[in-house]
Formats: sequence, structure tokens, C-alpha cells
Amino acid sequence: MTDPRVTGRARYAEDLEAEGMLHARIVRSPYPHARVTGLDASQVPEGCVVLLPEDVRDLGRYGVQIRDQSVLAGRPRHVGDPVAAVAAGSARAAEEAAASLFVDYEELPAVPDVLQAVQPGAPLVHEGHELASTGAAYFGLRPQQGTNVCHRFRIRDGDVAGGFEQAEAVVDETFRVAGAHHAAMEPHACLARWEQGRLEVQTGTQTPFNLREELAGIFGLEPERVRVVCRPMGGSFGAKTFLRTEAIAAALARKAGRPVKLVLPRDEEWQTLNRHPAVVRVKLGARADGTFTAAQIECYADTGAYADSGPGVAQKMGFAAPGPYRIPNVAVDAYCVYTNLPPNGAFRGYGQMQSTWARERAVDLLADRLGLDPLELRLKNLLREGDRYCTGEPMHDVHYAECLERAAEAIGWRDDRRGKGLSVILKGMQTPSRAAIAVEAGDDGTYVLRCATAEMGQGAIHAITLLAAELLGVEPDRVRFPAPDTDVVPFDTRTTSSRSTYMMGRALEAAVRDLQANGGRRGFGEVANAGGLDPDTGQGVASTHWHQAAAGAEVRVDEETGKLEVVRLHTAVYAGRVVNRPGAELQNEGSMIMGLGSALFEEVVFRDGQVVNPNLSDYAIPSFADLPERMTHELLEGESGEIHGLGETALPPVPPAIGNAVASLGLELFDLPMTPERVTEAIERRVGVKA
Amino acid sequence: MALKAEHGEAATVVAGGTFVGIMVNQRLMAPAAFLSLRDVPGLAYVRANEELRLGAMTTHRTVELSPEVCEGWPALASAFAVVASPRVRNQATVGGVLADADHASDPPSMLLALGARAVARSVRGEREIPIEDLILDFYSTSLEHDELLVEVRVPGGPHGAVYRKFRSRSHEDRPAVGVAACRRQGELRVVVGAVAGRPQWFPALCDPSRDPAEVGRAYADAVEPISDVSGSASYRRRVIAVEVRRALVDLA
Amino acid sequence: MNLRFRLNGEAVEVEARTDEMLHDVLNRLGCVSVRETCGIGVCGACTVLLEGEAVSGCLLLAPLAEGREVTTVEGLGGDDPVQTAFAEVHAFQCGYCTPGMVLAAARLLEENPSPAEEEIRLGLAGNLCRCGSYVKIVEAVRLAARRKEGAWTS
Repeated sequence: MTDPRVTGRARYAEDLEAEGMLHARIVRSPYPHARVTGLDASQVPEGCVVLLPEDVRDLGRYGVQIRDQSVLAGRPRHVGDPVAAVAAGSARAAEEAAASLFVDYEELPAVPDVLQAVQPGAPLVHEGHELASTGAAYFGLRPQQGTNVCHRFRIRDGDVAGGFEQAEAVVDETFRVAGAHHAAMEPHACLARWEQGRLEVQTGTQTPFNLREELAGIFGLEPERVRVVCRPMGGSFGAKTFLRTEAIAAALARKAGRPVKLVLPRDEEWQTLNRHPAVVRVKLGARADGTFTAAQIECYADTGAYADSGPGVAQKMGFAAPGPYRIPNVAVDAYCVYTNLPPNGAFRGYGQMQSTWARERAVDLLADRLGLDPLELRLKNLLREGDRYCTGEPMHDVHYAECLERAAEAIGWRDDRRGKGLSVILKGMQTPSRAAIAVEAGDDGTYVLRCATAEMGQGAIHAITLLAAELLGVEPDRVRFPAPDTDVVPFDTRTTSSRSTYMMGRALEAAVRDLQANGGRRGFGEVANAGGLDPDTGQGVASTHWHQAAAGAEVRVDEETGKLEVVRLHTAVYAGRVVNRPGAELQNEGSMIMGLGSALFEEVVFRDGQVVNPNLSDYAIPSFADLPERMTHELLEGESGEIHGLGETALPPVPPAIGNAVASLGLELFDLPMTPERVTEAIERRVGVKA
Repeated sequence: MALKAEHGEAATVVAGGTFVGIMVNQRLMAPAAFLSLRDVPGLAYVRANEELRLGAMTTHRTVELSPEVCEGWPALASAFAVVASPRVRNQATVGGVLADADHASDPPSMLLALGARAVARSVRGEREIPIEDLILDFYSTSLEHDELLVEVRVPGGPHGAVYRKFRSRSHEDRPAVGVAACRRQGELRVVVGAVAGRPQWFPALCDPSRDPAEVGRAYADAVEPISDVSGSASYRRRVIAVEVRRALVDLA
Repeated sequence: MNLRFRLNGEAVEVEARTDEMLHDVLNRLGCVSVRETCGIGVCGACTVLLEGEAVSGCLLLAPLAEGREVTTVEGLGGDDPVQTAFAEVHAFQCGYCTPGMVLAAARLLEENPSPAEEEIRLGLAGNLCRCGSYVKIVEAVRLAARRKEGAWTS
């Protein structure tokens, strides 16, 4: 009965302890771009372990898609870039030791903004782009050598110029989305130790196998000589993906000959990973009857000083940009661009929120231009079963119209449109990817699941346990799911992009069949979804399975202060089949609330490359009192019974539904978040309220 | 008092400890000594007669829930009630919120509008300091190093007052603009908080016969607002004009 | 300094620095559920009850707890109506904020045994949940209120 989360017995990565362990602290660059010209560790107290550039000279470079990072930076490229590290007997002693290490820098020219970074002659953040060969570099990368663009992705489908010629109305606008921060309640935390030449890292991570591969590459070890154990996370939302602090902890542990624990102080979280700020230009054309004729979209994703998973984020931003519509002629150009800001990486929605904001706002602007009802315009153009997407792939299990109708009905769209807005989205899932699980029977009627799915609060462990119990015909308490451990569990791509329940669920079915066919002791199941896109034409299979949702919002605007109040918010999400209802509801509600934060006020503010608001007072996140007066959602189930992931689907539609609701009052917003100040600017731009 | 006289600047006075706690956690303060007022007897009280007397160690929560304050000074109760969360209000004190002189706290503007005075005590004796003379700038007061703020006195008698907190982002946010207004026997006081180093009061603009919108515009022109993550200076000007007018309309 | 107070009903004695926060002392005493994460009293993950009132463990100088009664979620015993309601309703995701949320909710129900939804939202607004489990937390608090009310009237 008593869940450890309510009794205080829940333990997270930050609670890890080991005999004789030291605590680490990172020494970080105060400059957005500089060269380290000297390090003076003479004042560091006796007994502390100091990690200096010479200690990491033998270590390999890393980066899951572009190999652009080293364990310590001799040439820091963002404020907060690690230049040295210390370990001491307590966290406090480590903090004092870090403060006693003096570093000299020579400042270099920095580029703080994505559009400046793509200008010819802009300072280069990296001189060359070396492709990574890791499992996460699974798609064709197109770095543009000699520029700050580390990946360029294109879709070319049909004749775009011809399409615009057929258009009666064309909208061409540029939209901006601010950087946001994950703000997981538990900061990044890990514990590293070496035993007989083997590295063991316990950490909160969504990506144990990617992390193992990176650590093996850095330390020159066979992957089997590295063990990664995933600890439950106090939230992640994409922040705890790939390699974050683990290599520094491991290098310190190697030098110290003792286990080293590293927990990031809150403010350093903002220097570690944020969400890509983006600029998205959308040109969309339609005939007088509303039929879309062409779309041309440019996406600029600001990946900060290191690529991390930015190329993948930019690509998804690009291929989700046209949205769930029949558009005969499409051109998309998505760029992943370096700047001298802290790295940006995976964030709930994975780039698709940014392009969805731009496109769904553009659809409403086009409806306005054509004098059509935005709902009718969408319904007229939505993808239907069997339609071909601009990537060439056929769409199946299609429910966009159903989602949109539900959202419209919930907010009473057809009664009165004033103050109301709608949006509809598609969102890709990791493709290609692979998942595997082993099921082992114990002597006492229990079963143990061995798989790499990580728990970060999303309830995946619970959902997979329920599925296993159902398939095995036992009560859920007979099924155990130990912490994922790369020494024990079969390979899995990673716990990202809302794929776990879907992919792991199918692997589990195979594993249980295998178990039942082979004596009932052990079963193994594996599934893979094949696909991928040509990076120059965008043709292929973007996603074997699309997440689908719509949102409806109703707002009130204080026209004097610009303050926006969301009175009503509803999302309709296609779930296929719901495995764990409370868990599914929590994921939907959590996504909506995070979407609300991005819509209304979340923004990482930079000045001279420095984060101005690295604390939970100056970077506000939604509280109970920020919820809309009425917030509801529904999970649509389908005939096919196919499970659809829900981890983030309800986030991207929220900001444009709110933005479109504000637009219905004649206030056109182009940038996120929609702060009261931006709303007042729209009030000043307004020419007249729509009839 | 003797301890404060002996240690002076080196000893940091701790009341509820919310402000000191933040300073210590953020390593902005590493005091040689803390002087805790927790066990100094008789510093936590609410006494309401012709005037209201609040002991320096009275918590925000006590003020907000006090029947005497809610009855006689309801706007003051509401200004304390909108500070942060119940958790913080259980710790934060009346003396602390004035002595910290944090520009974005809600109660100081309301106390100033109500014409309150702080009582400072030292081994040398006791003096009353009007709030407008107490808070000088960001985190800066006119308290001497040997002085302790021990009490706040708020005039009683018939008056009308209102406090409006305008947040530009989350409900948990501190104010982008706070407006306190009080009308007492033909005298009007309008004070704008969270927009500058100290609460902004322009007696010359507080003409009770003037149109509220005009007073709002005059305040917007007179204040030199700060720019921060809650809003730019020009946005704050706009909000000051609106919120001052609304406060005066609420008052009427 | 030598610090003495009552923790979850038992007398404890512990060495503490004068500039140390109560949160650190409680962690040393094994109450790991009290978590410092924002360090500025905004998030409520460090909520503890001091003499029955909710305070921020990360902002309370440990010496201020001298001689006082401190309650953490470990002291609720696991069968408090708020705890059981949270578990039944699944009013959490990662669970990191849950101990603070449970204590804040327990105190709220003492002050206001049958709060309206709006009162729950405002009363708990100073406890942040980044997973966004707010809807279910409100549901759990209402369930706990009904249960406590039932126990009272029967």
C-alpha cells in the first residue's frame, strides 16, 4: 500500500553513497568564449584531488552526433564550460577547493545568437565538424564545414514555386521560441568508481547504452569494461540524456583512486542543458477555398556551444514542421547552429514544439487572410488514413480530425469563437530504433524483467510491469523490474521520444511468447522499427508511428496590462490503447502544464552569454495557482489497439492553441513566451478587432 | 542590545531567517556571528489600540491571520498574505522584511502608505523612524550598526487602504509592480513597490481630488523603473499607470 | 554547536555548524526525504513541520530548531490519510516533491478540514511539482479531507 514516494523512502541518484567516496565540484568558465592561459592550483587545500587539463590529455573526445566535446575545455565555448574539477571529502570542502583554484583566460569573440551565427564571417564556435560514429548518430548528418551549421536537413517534395503560384493567399512570417530549462526537481547526480580497470557509473540517465558507449570511447575501453546503472530520476524531461557530468566524475575517480560523487548545484543546471531557442520562418499558401498548395519552412535551432543531440532535434523540428496536413508541395530547410550559449539538447517535445508553434500560428493567420473558420480550414486539409506525408511515407492509424473535433467541442468553438483557439499536431517517434527485453522466471512464481527502460517519473516501469503481468497471467506484484544495468539488461536504444511503452510493449510480447515456447524459464524478445530519412530530400520513413493530438484554449486578456489568463484548456490525444490509466493521465496533464509554462512565461534569459535567471525564482515554472480555471484532457482509444506513447504529445499543441485564442481578439503574437509585455506590443500593433 | 553593540556589523541579526538563509545558501553572506532573536522574550506580538503595534519577531502569517489586523487594517493583512507561500510566511517576520529592504517585498510599500514607523533600539536608547526614512535603497536601511528594529507602529483611526500585487509571470512570482494606497482624513498616499531600489512615494502627486487615471500617469512619469526578468522599464511604466489608477478606484 | 530537538516524536542530539540549515542536519539524521533543491525557499521540496507549522528546511538555520518539535514525512507513519490518498490517487510522478507536498497538505487540512478546490490550489501553490501532477494532488487532498471528515463525524 505504502508507495515509497509518500513515506519518504524513495531514493534517487543524488542519494548514492559509497565507502570512501569524495564529492566533486566543477570549475567553470565565466566567459562565453575564451582560451585558458593558466591554471593555479597551489592554493587548493591539501587532500583535495584536482583534475587539470593534463589529467585528461589521454582521454578521447565525445559527442553523440558530432564529436565536439572534451572532458575539460582548454578553450571554453560557453559560460559554465568545465575547465577543471576538484574532489574533496565533503561537498562543502569541494566547493571551497573549487573557489581556491585560479584560472587565467584570454577572451575570444563570441556569437550569442542563432541568426548572427549563420551570417557569413561570424566567429566560428568550432573550426571543423567531426562526425560521431555512435549509435545516436543514426541518420545522415550534413555538417556545413567552415560555418556554424553542424547539421542541415532538407525536405524537397513537389514544386514549391509552382504551388505558391496557385495560391490565392500566402502567409510568410517569422516566429521565435525562447530557450527553456528542464528544471527537474532533482539535479544531475552521479557516482563513478573504478574496480580492476572497469568503470562503474551509477547515474540518473535516460540513455544507459549511449552513455556506456561514450564513456568507453573517452577512456579507451571496450564497452563491456564500462557498467552503467540507472538510478530513478527526480524528473528529467530530456535533461538526463547522453553524457552530462559522468565523464568528469569518472576522470576524478580515476585520479583519486576512490569513488567520486557529483551533484550539480542548482544554478549550474542552466549551464548544463537547456531547450533549443529557435527561429522558424513559415510560408504557407492556399487557394481561395482553403486548399493548401505549398509550404516553405526554415528552422534555425540554436544548439549552443556543443551539438549534443541538436542535429536530431533540428531534424525533427524540420520534419514535423509541415504538420498533419495534405500539402502537395513542401520545402523544409532545418539548420542546427552553434552559438556561444550553454548546450541545448533533448527537451520534452524534441524540437517539434518550436515548429508546431510557428506552423499552427501561420495556419490561423492564413484562415484570417482567407476569411475562413480556422477549424474548417484545418479539417479541409488534415491528413486522412492512407494519405502520403511530405516524406513520402503513408500515414496509418490516422486520428487528427477526431482529436481536433474533440478539442473544438470541448471549448464550445462552434458556439462562439471569440477568445478561443485551436491547434493540431503530429509528432514523430524515434526511428529507427530497437528495444529488447528478457523475462526470467523465479522458483517462487515470480518473474524478473531485464530491460533498459529508465524511470524518471513517467511511470514506464509501472506500465511495462502491468503489461507483463497481463501477458504472463499473474498479479502485478509477482513481476519485478530491477534498476536497468548495462551489465545485465539487453541493449535498448533509449528511453526517449515516448517510445518505451510502445516499443518495449511489443518486445515484451515476443519475450513472453519465447518464454512460453521454451520451457518457461527464460524468454527474450526484440523489436526494431526500420526507417530514416534522406537528409538532402527528406524522403523515407520519418516515423513508423506518429503521435497525434489537438488542443483548444480559451483566454481572457487584460488589455491594459497585457496579462493573459487561460480560462479553459483541453487536449485530445490519441492513445491507441491505454495501459496504465492514472499514469497516462499524469503524463498528459504534466505535458499540458509544461506547455503552459512555455506558452506564458518560461524563458532562459541571456546577457553576454550569461544566464540571467538561473534559479527557480527568476526562472518561474508553473505552480498550482497557474493552472487554467478548467483544464481537461481525453485519451482517445482506437480499434487497432496499438499503444501510442504519451510522454510529451500533449505539450506542443498547447502554446499555439493559446496563441490562436489571443489572435482571435486581434492580437497577433509571433514569439514565445507570450509575456504580458509581448501582449501589450501586440495590442499596439492591432489595427482593429476582428468581427 | 549589548551583543549588537559589541559585535556591530560583524553580527548578522536573524529573525525568521528566510532572507539570511538565502544569502548563506547563495554564498552571498558568511557572517562571523549570528544574533538570533528567537529567544529574546517579548518581540512577537500584535497589539491593537489607537494604533497597531507589531513586534519585530511577529511572523507574516500571524499578521495575515490576526483578527485585530484583519478588522482594523485589512489592507495590511492582505499585503502580508500575498508574500510567497504559507511556508515562507510562517518564518518571515515583520522586522525582517523591513530590515532586509528587499525591493520586491510586498509589505514595505503598504506600511509606508499607512504612515507606519519602525522603532529602532540600541544601548543608546530608542528612536522612531518613518518607513520612508528607513528604507534607503536596495538592501540598505538607515539603521545604525548597534541598532535593532524591535517594533512597527501603524496609525489607527478611520482610513481606507488597498494593496495590489501585479505579477507578470507565475503566481509564485514576486511583484513586477506593487501598489499600496491609503486615504486618511483627506490625505492620500500612493506608494509603488518592486520598481526601484526603495518604495516610490511622490507626495506632490498624491492629490486626492485628482482623477485616478491622472495620478496613475503622473506616477508612471515620475518613477524611474528598473528592468529585469519581470519586465522592462517601459513595460513597468505602463503597468504603474494602470495599477495606480485601479488602486485609487478600488479605494473610492 | 550541540543541537537538541525532537524529531518525529523522539529526542535527538546532534553536532551542527551555526550557519548550517536544518535540511542538512535532518539528512545526517537519516531523514533523506527532506530535499534541498532550489535553495531559496521557492520549491517546497524541503518542507518540514516546525512545531506543527510548515517551514522551508533549506532556509531554517539549524540552531533555530533548538528545543523544538520537527516533523518530516518519515514521522507520519505511512498510514496518514494524506499519504494513503496520495498513493491511491497516484498523485505523483517522479515523487521528488511528494514528501514536502504531503506535509504541506497535512498542515492545510489541519487549518481547513474541508477546503474548496481553489483553497487547495492556493494553499499548496508554494510547493512546486515539475512533473505537473497538480490535478491529481488536488484530487488526493480532497479525498483525504473527505476521509478525515468521515472519521470525525463517525
